[in-house]
Amino acid sequence: MNNTLQRRKFLKLSAALSALGLIGGPGLIPQARSAEFTDYKCLVNVFLLGGNDSFNMLVPRSDAEYNIYAASRQNLAIAQEALLPISPLDSDGILYGFHPMATGLQGLFESGDLAVVSNVGPLLEPVSKDDYLNGNTLLPPQLFSHNDQRNQWQSLRGTTTLSTGWAGRIADSLADDLSGQMLPTNISTSGNSRFQSGESTSPYTVNNSGASSYGAFRRNAEYGPERQASFERQLANGFDNIHSRALADIHSRSLLYADLINDALRLVPELDTPFPDSRLGRRLRIVARLLAVKDEFEVNRQIYYITTGGFDTHNDQNQDQPDLLMDLGDCLLAFQTAMTEIGLSDQITTFTQSDFGRTLTSNGDGTDHGWGGHQLVSGGAVLGQRIFGTMPSLEIDGPDDVAGGRIIPTLSADQYAATLANWFGVDDSSLDQIAPNLPAFNLRNLGFMA
Amino acid sequence: MHFSRTTIVTISLLLLSSCGGGGGSSGSTTPAPSGETPTAPVISIAEAHRFLRQASFGPTPAEVDNVRNIGFEAWIDQQLLETPSLQLPYMDDLEEPENNREGQTNRLDAWFRNVLNGEDQLRQRVAFALSEIMVVSDQGNLFNFPNGLANYYDELTLHAFGNYQELLKAVTLTPAMGLYLSMLGNQKPDKAMNIRPDENYAREVMQLFSIGLVMLNENGSTILDQNNQPIPTYDQSIIEGFAHVFTGWTFYGSESFNQPSYIFRLPMAAFQDFHDEGEKRLLNEVVLPAGQTAEDDLDAALENIASHANVPAFIGRQLIQRLVSANPSAAYIGRVAAVFIDDGYGTRGNLSAVVKAILLDPEARAEPADANSGKLTEPLLRLTAVWRAFDASAANNRYLFAYPEFSFSQAPLRADSVFNFFRPDFAPPGEISKLGLVSPEMQITNETTSVTVNNYLALAIFLQHSAVAEKDEATIYIDIESELALVDQPQTLINQVADKLLGGNISEQLRSETASMMEHWDTQAGKVVEAIHMIATSPEFAVLR
Repeated sequence: MNNTLQRRKFLKLSAALSALGLIGGPGLIPQARSAEFTDYKCLVNVFLLGGNDSFNMLVPRSDAEYNIYAASRQNLAIAQEALLPISPLDSDGILYGFHPMATGLQGLFESGDLAVVSNVGPLLEPVSKDDYLNGNTLLPPQLFSHNDQRNQWQSLRGTTTLSTGWAGRIADSLADDLSGQMLPTNISTSGNSRFQSGESTSPYTVNNSGASSYGAFRRNAEYGPERQASFERQLANGFDNIHSRALADIHSRSLLYADLINDALRLVPELDTPFPDSRLGRRLRIVARLLAVKDEFEVNRQIYYITTGGFDTHNDQNQDQPDLLMDLGDCLLAFQTAMTEIGLSDQITTFTQSDFGRTLTSNGDGTDHGWGGHQLVSGGAVLGQRIFGTMPSLEIDGPDDVAGGRIIPTLSADQYAATLANWFGVDDSSLDQIAPNLPAFNLRNLGFMA
Repeated sequence: MHFSRTTIVTISLLLLSSCGGGGGSSGSTTPAPSGETPTAPVISIAEAHRFLRQASFGPTPAEVDNVRNIGFEAWIDQQLLETPSLQLPYMDDLEEPENNREGQTNRLDAWFRNVLNGEDQLRQRVAFALSEIMVVSDQGNLFNFPNGLANYYDELTLHAFGNYQELLKAVTLTPAMGLYLSMLGNQKPDKAMNIRPDENYAREVMQLFSIGLVMLNENGSTILDQNNQPIPTYDQSIIEGFAHVFTGWTFYGSESFNQPSYIFRLPMAAFQDFHDEGEKRLLNEVVLPAGQTAEDDLDAALENIASHANVPAFIGRQLIQRLVSANPSAAYIGRVAAVFIDDGYGTRGNLSAVVKAILLDPEARAEPADANSGKLTEPLLRLTAVWRAFDASAANNRYLFAYPEFSFSQAPLRADSVFNFFRPDFAPPGEISKLGLVSPEMQITNETTSVTVNNYLALAIFLQHSAVAEKDEATIYIDIESELALVDQPQTLINQVADKLLGGNISEQLRSETASMMEHWDTQAGKVVEAIHMIATSPEFAVLR
């Protein structure tokens, strides 16, 4: 590791900004552990904005189950013979296949680098259909609403007013152990999110080629260094308004981290692994590049947040979904290949989340907002080629359908998050802080991580 | 989808004639009670400037003078009478765009032209606010239809001072909204095929455009039940009720329901055969009887939404947030909601009265109360403020700026989803969250965008000013001639720039930093643009107090 210069330069800048009162101290939340980490792990959250229709992503191929599926989905059903067959190691006796365009997912699954976590969604406690219909159970508020359910996935707040996200709370809880890191634990390629908001920690945002830097402050701009010094003095002087202060805080962080990131990226040529030229592909590519130079940042734990959109398929689903799932599969496969290329496969776990599953019934040419759905987890540390949880019945008005093909989740978003957090290094005793609804469920770890 | 030239002409004629006949409800607006203008109190430059940052796309010296001369209320009254500046007529006069990307750029050209130069500043500002509440976007299935989006924006512009329920109806029936939230082509159930009506518009029209998710008091605070939990405004069965209401509509002039005409300039029309004729359960225990026409169902359903108790505070608060402050007091919201409920003449939903109440409220007009007051100015509005203050224009008389969102994270009708660029309740981690306050525009402010906004401003100021030697026909240049004349008096120059951008409210520090930076330069233009850049990229300028 030859980054002492880099570190020295960073610490100098950091000390300068800190002396100016621009950079706060480490977290103040109760600590999850005391021992410092010596290894490296990273979580990469791929959030599928809009609500992925995952009941068309993974479909039963056995005749009996397929026929139920096809009867429910009618004009939105994928043809049985077109499904891409997979061979789970823990078969429940039913054959499954991925969407015909999701060749990347099939490849990752069959090579053991991808697991499916079946029918997971926001829950405050286990819910049966009877409980739901009788109003006999606690439910997450505003089921079926985009931003509320996205918020649940990201915050796990239940009915509380908790304003932090679970990645933010992980960063808070590990703050003392990670105080030597030169970058914030949470990094986003996709702007601000509830997911990464902490009480005492904030995420840092990059763009698709690294960090944005101020053109007017460049050394080759006339009086650039003087202008930067002037700007820093203004920031340091403070502001008498909360909005100005919030903006100034962001500017300070832009100044602090930009050179660190861009200098590091210049050290390493592009990876050999090609990425699809899509929004998700470009975002995963910069994450892969940053991971390739992670030693420059002296980090032990990182969480990346990446979004990709278009999943709110109310209309033209048959036309749009093939592209969405092809891109998702191709991108996850490229990312996993890149992680193998840089030798970090076992240390990096990529997982999906999405607003909700979608209705099994059709609105003519698309689907509406549902509840439970399947999620994907990939990486060398994942117990791949398996389907975790129980596949729900896909029958309209069946045991798992609360109305119109909205499927009650059998696993909770809290259990899913806790499993990932536990692998990441959060002690079992601290998991309730990360996933507040976890105590309502028997299984505290879904077992999909090695 | 491309319109032939003749189609465009025919359709614009249709549009013109329908507007002349009061097709836009703006013609029938009841003016807000105005009363006598009292002996005009002395309005300072700072006060007039702050008002115009709330009510326009940026103060100009002339408009500041105007406000100081006639007063706030008279200025608003004047604005209510200005002719609406529209996008489609301008776009129709342009050469036919080569492709849809170019068509979208023409649409933004029309937007910049109107918000920078339109006399109807307040109407434009309210229309922009509405476009961030009732969202459609060219990101998605509307990308190919710039004219449809322009028509949508024009409807917001025409109804900005109209009646809320009529606005809601206009919005509901635009083909742009119809496509964006999939009401267009939505049809009655087909049980055998497991097909039920599309719930997209039914859900979002309530959640985002009118009443929100939880029951509100008139002052915008949340009503809690005995368990201290909010009370949902609707449940799934009500969404399904509205989803059934919104069946049977497609483009006007379509030969049949499934052969769309793609006429974007006229409201959608109904095909009764595709409309569900059953009973529909709506809000407040209202049940629409079976057998009604699509039109009757629609009118009754929109009446049902618009008369819901939440609307005044839900819409009032968001309009305050777009124009004045991120965290209005409950009392302020309550006063605005009261005017929404009754404009003084017994009319509910008179938006001109609501806008007037927002801008004339003591909380909007008084000196900023404390550190929590005001709001972060939307990034794009920082650019328009600079461009208006320095009368920016291009030689070709256009504003060709294809991708404002790359720098500003926003562009008119270009949000990533119906949830807009930012949510009204967004709170960044840190001080604002801890105080239980919000700062919506902070949702698009991060370590990347804080830089890209300032970089674009640097470009627009340092490289695009009137003293640049070699000009480009399509580049937008700010006019710095009157500042160049002051270059020998640095403090006077700084004062003038500070007057234009900050209403004179410049901190001592920013003033002295600006003066020192100017000293580096030995060119006149260098000194001027340095001063403008220093102020325009400062956190002081980014926040409207």
